[in-house]
Amino acid sequence: MSDVVGYRKRRGVEAFMLAFAIILGMGGYLLTHLNRDAALPPEWPWALAALLTIGVALHAVIRWRLPYADPLILPLVMLLNGIGLAMIHRLDLGTSPRMHSAELQLMWTAIAAVACCLVIAFLRDYRVLQRYTYTMFLAGMALLMLPLVPGLGTEKNGARIWIHLGPYSFQPAELAKLVLSIAFASYLVEKRDVLALAGGRFLGIELPRPRDLGPILLMWLASLAVLVFQKDLGTSLLFFGLFVMMLYVATEKPSWAILGLLLFATGAYLGYLFFSHVQVRVSSWLNPFSNYDQNYQVIQGQFGIAWGGALGTGWGLGRPNLTPLAKTDFIAAAIGEELGVAGLTAVMLIYGLIVARGLRASLVARDPFGKLLAAGLSFVFAIQVFAILGGVTRLLPLTGLTTPFMSQGGSSLVANWVMVGLLLVITHQVRSPVAEVPAEPEQWLAAEATQVVPVGASVDAAAGSPRSVPATSPAAIADDAPVPVTPPADDVTVPVALPADDVTTEVTSGPGGGAGDPSGGEGDDPTTEVRLPPEDGGVL
Amino acid sequence: MSELAVLGLKVGFLALLWLFILFTGNVVRTDLFGRKVSAAELAAQGGAPGAKPQKISRRALRQLPKTLTVTHGKQAGLQLPLGEGILIGRASDCQLLLDDDYVSTRHARISRTPTGYQVEDLGSTNGTFVNNQRITAPTPFGIEDTLRIGRTMMSAEK
Repeated sequence: MSDVVGYRKRRGVEAFMLAFAIILGMGGYLLTHLNRDAALPPEWPWALAALLTIGVALHAVIRWRLPYADPLILPLVMLLNGIGLAMIHRLDLGTSPRMHSAELQLMWTAIAAVACCLVIAFLRDYRVLQRYTYTMFLAGMALLMLPLVPGLGTEKNGARIWIHLGPYSFQPAELAKLVLSIAFASYLVEKRDVLALAGGRFLGIELPRPRDLGPILLMWLASLAVLVFQKDLGTSLLFFGLFVMMLYVATEKPSWAILGLLLFATGAYLGYLFFSHVQVRVSSWLNPFSNYDQNYQVIQGQFGIAWGGALGTGWGLGRPNLTPLAKTDFIAAAIGEELGVAGLTAVMLIYGLIVARGLRASLVARDPFGKLLAAGLSFVFAIQVFAILGGVTRLLPLTGLTTPFMSQGGSSLVANWVMVGLLLVITHQVRSPVAEVPAEPEQWLAAEATQVVPVGASVDAAAGSPRSVPATSPAAIADDAPVPVTPPADDVTVPVALPADDVTTEVTSGPGGGAGDPSGGEGDDPTTEVRLPPEDGGVL
Repeated sequence: MSELAVLGLKVGFLALLWLFILFTGNVVRTDLFGRKVSAAELAAQGGAPGAKPQKISRRALRQLPKTLTVTHGKQAGLQLPLGEGILIGRASDCQLLLDDDYVSTRHARISRTPTGYQVEDLGSTNGTFVNNQRITAPTPFGIEDTLRIGRTMMSAEK
């Protein structure tokens, strides 16, 4: 009755993997210098100290606030961040005059880690985020459209996705990604029942009702606006994809996903017909060599990956600087060149593992908001990684998204670390132990139905020991559940034991006769209840 | 550096990277299903707030009985330490497994409190008797007391 399903905390595992990740990141940095100069850089202890401080601080905050958080997310993210830092440093070395963007990136890593710590320390229950559905939605949309404000937004490399505030530039879409995930999750928790209602059928697929199409059309128009005015394919795909995926997860109706794909295909085709920047992207995807100058970046990236081969040239021995924007958009091509396909595949797998841990949290989550939020954050992360890595490797048309945790840029780093903080908070609540309600209580209630229980004899026994009353109400679950108590209002799938209708009144009036003890009553003669056992009775 | 060393370091780095992924996979595997923890164990870990085992002074501890001895019944003579408390019944997770037809699966529990041991009935069919009185609530259980469950009698000893 008082059994509890729990996950081990595994903080030791996290510490070990974190140390491993830092060693790998440092390894890339040191190997670069060993390969280029045959000597270690004089400042390497400082770099190690900086990485260790960040890692230890994050680990300590997790130990303090989220002892049950997923042990893998932090090391995986730290590994990507470390490899990204090493690669940016390596690309710095290839510039003349030498740039110092790795130092700046390290500073941003520290700021992002602090942001992540703040999320962990102050957001213990992610469900408070559920309250601000429409505020979050409006804030997210405003962030998304911010680069269109004249004087604030600037056009860089053909896309208008940056804003400038004094000396700082910032990509608001990275933050909008988080805010809109939260907004969609809380919106869909409220509305999913309506959105799941079936309308007509077409080709064996249940279509949604036409009147429920408002939200998806709104999101479609918003993403088209991003495509048209900001000229950014990636951001447009990211937000529409996020909404459609969450809609599908919330309603379990494939028709939403199909509808979303059709809408997206229509939008993409219209974009291709009417906008030259989309045509450029498509041509650099399908026939890059038809126009060498226009598609220079994609072609250089391809050459880099091809030159790297299976095992790569080794840290610091390739020429990834030949690709324009190697530190930001094309950092994956630089990895592919110096670590080879083996290294690039490993990096992709690590991204996949982060997504898998997020989806796992979503599967185990008990409240619908946590489920949707974890799924949304993982999906938006997955779509982003897929779009940019697919673009670099020419699986998809290139989009201007950042490579999370790796490419140079402070806003992306901070937003993604905050996302990690949110995921950690969710995994902590999901993995903390809670009392388990017996799965099929009806069965033993039914088994008891054949037993004649003397009502008078057992009533006081039942009254005297309240523990013997089976946990049939959510309030009884709450007694044993230490951490997140599932609110009874939520339509979560906690199996709540309600006595079956066909159980006779004899049983329900005398639950003391074995109600708390499913299998012990079998074969017992109810009359022994009042009679002393025969043999040793005399001794007493 | 020699080319061989460069190659060795390159392959070594990639091997470590993949070893990291293998380790991760192993953690994912061992983490797959979670595990069942009984509420008592959870309390012992400090997982449940307010359920931490209370501190007992060493002097009071010396006054407490240390073993439970079965005095009558099929298993007469059996002794086991009381420790933090024991669960009595026929289920395999009970510390005292009684071979007795009148015993329920999880029949009774002896647990340690700051004031000494106490017995509580876990909703058994045939009841738990302390000094021949059927108990309906957690009852103190000390050295002088006898406990009867089914046809088995037990007493606490130093």
